[in-house]
Amino acid sequence: MRRFDLAPDYGRLAGALRDPASLERLSASEFSRAMDAAQDARLLGWFVAQIDTGRIPQHAPPWLGDRVATARTLAAEYERSVRWEIDRLQRAFLGSGVTWVLLKGAGYVAAGLEPGRGRRVADIDILVPEDDLPRTEALLHGAGWEFGELDPYDTRYYREWMHEIPPMVHRERRSVVDVHHAILPRTSRLKPSSARLFERAVPAGAELRVLAPAHMVLHGAAHLFHDGEIAGAIRDVVDLDQLLRRFGREESFWPDLAREAAALGLTRPAYYALRYAREWFGTPVPDAVIEESARWAPPAPLRRLMDALVRRTIPGGGSMSQVAAYTLYVRSHWLRMPPLQVARHLARKSLRRYRPTP
Amino acid sequence: MARADDPGHFDIAIVSSGGVRRVWRRQANLVINGARPFLPLPADIAGAMFEWAMNWCVGNRALAWVSVHAAVVERHGRALILSAESGAGKSTLCAALALAGWRLFSDEFALVDPSTLTVAPLPRPVSLKEASIEVIGRRAPDAVFSREGIDIEHHRFVHMRPPSDSVARAAQTAAPRWIVFPRYVAGRAPTTIAPLFKAHALMRLVDQSFNYNNLGSSGFTTVADLVRRSECYVLEYGDLDDALAALDSMTAV
Repeated sequence: MRRFDLAPDYGRLAGALRDPASLERLSASEFSRAMDAAQDARLLGWFVAQIDTGRIPQHAPPWLGDRVATARTLAAEYERSVRWEIDRLQRAFLGSGVTWVLLKGAGYVAAGLEPGRGRRVADIDILVPEDDLPRTEALLHGAGWEFGELDPYDTRYYREWMHEIPPMVHRERRSVVDVHHAILPRTSRLKPSSARLFERAVPAGAELRVLAPAHMVLHGAAHLFHDGEIAGAIRDVVDLDQLLRRFGREESFWPDLAREAAALGLTRPAYYALRYAREWFGTPVPDAVIEESARWAPPAPLRRLMDALVRRTIPGGGSMSQVAAYTLYVRSHWLRMPPLQVARHLARKSLRRYRPTP
Repeated sequence: MARADDPGHFDIAIVSSGGVRRVWRRQANLVINGARPFLPLPADIAGAMFEWAMNWCVGNRALAWVSVHAAVVERHGRALILSAESGAGKSTLCAALALAGWRLFSDEFALVDPSTLTVAPLPRPVSLKEASIEVIGRRAPDAVFSREGIDIEHHRFVHMRPPSDSVARAAQTAAPRWIVFPRYVAGRAPTTIAPLFKAHALMRLVDQSFNYNNLGSSGFTTVADLVRRSECYVLEYGDLDDALAALDSMTAV
């Protein structure tokens, strides 16, 4: 049927992520479908960066030029709006003495790292010491961020179990800030030390910090392979690949990564990060690090299961990909909560989907 | 715009929702460049959805241009931009000018290219509402009109086919010379056309722009350069012929 021809082409996007030069060999139509996929996967900034280095079909028709101009403008707008929110946060915290660290997307933008280019950030994630949560809430409230309406279950979910407080939404700009006091939930089996993250955080502007390079990679890995939903997470693996390539140029990075993975108890997610980044994108990792990371691997049967699940959720993963995605989704909850709590929470969430939203 | 089997600026499709729901209530989904950014709506308004989708795309996803809510016509290579909110008589004026020898660019969008400051045509059917249907119908017995419909705000509307010359020359851009902010005031006499401060014209265009916020500094410099190069006026009229005469003398060579 015709309409499937018009669908975003995730296969070609995945191909381009492995081999960016392949973009030049696409027809204008194939190229624009790959660009639609990049937009959908929040990789438009990466895609535009490729165009800027000349990776675009030759003899592009005028309509493709207009689509590219639109993509370039959107990517610039995404990044500009993140920078504006960061600026507003700096103003909110200025002189307060609260140590706050920008995490993930907004952190990459603030640090000028490649994954921050043209980045679309839905929620700004920040990390503050747990003792400073009340003050942080007050400072953000004073700057216009408010809690939405929450039922008692939601409040309990966040306050007792999670590593973040309920999202705060700006009353005028509708921007969302997620305030964390740890990088994994309270109920999670892994409990990386937030104090260690603060100690090593690096400046990225006035009274503004981002995680140290090794911690940035480990947080990405923990988020992807321990806490989050792996399905549709191609963006997160691209982040890891780009961070590893950039930080890996410094020799001191690799010993740091190994030491910090052990110190934070995040060796298993680190193992998966190195394994899948190498497998998907051929991320260069020194042999010695590969050897060391083998000790972080899960037992062979579990590793094979994980390989099978993760490979099925990548673009073009086949008909089993939905089942695999749900299995990984349940797994992420299994890891973040005790078993009975998982069962109750997921039951509640799936029931809620059938309730009319107000 | 282009046919579905030949890719173009946008690929828009309307597809029916699957699942059990369709048995008692058919729903239509908008698919724009392969994504479904909106919730499905009842299938019987699929036609209006299609027009709305085209407008959404041009307003929000045609960022190669600054898009302004305006009618645009052209004569002797010089474009006239008529910018106003809905209900100010923009489409009626535009249809009347198109029937009086001006080339129709659009009754809805002024698409300004930031690098050349020219306006790109988008000749689509002109949408006429309520009394305008009869006003324009009397002037153009030969023009082709759609069947009358009722829009979502319960207004009668028809679409007028754009002149074939406008469609044939859809790729020919033009430089704007005049920017007019029209306002229809029932019973108003006489018709007045008065110069407008350029700073005010700038603010009004920004206010009527769909994508100004997307474009960053290029949006500002484009609109600023546009008003700097154009003559800017406010037109208040109660009679269509008077308004046409006023525009005619204003734009006389």
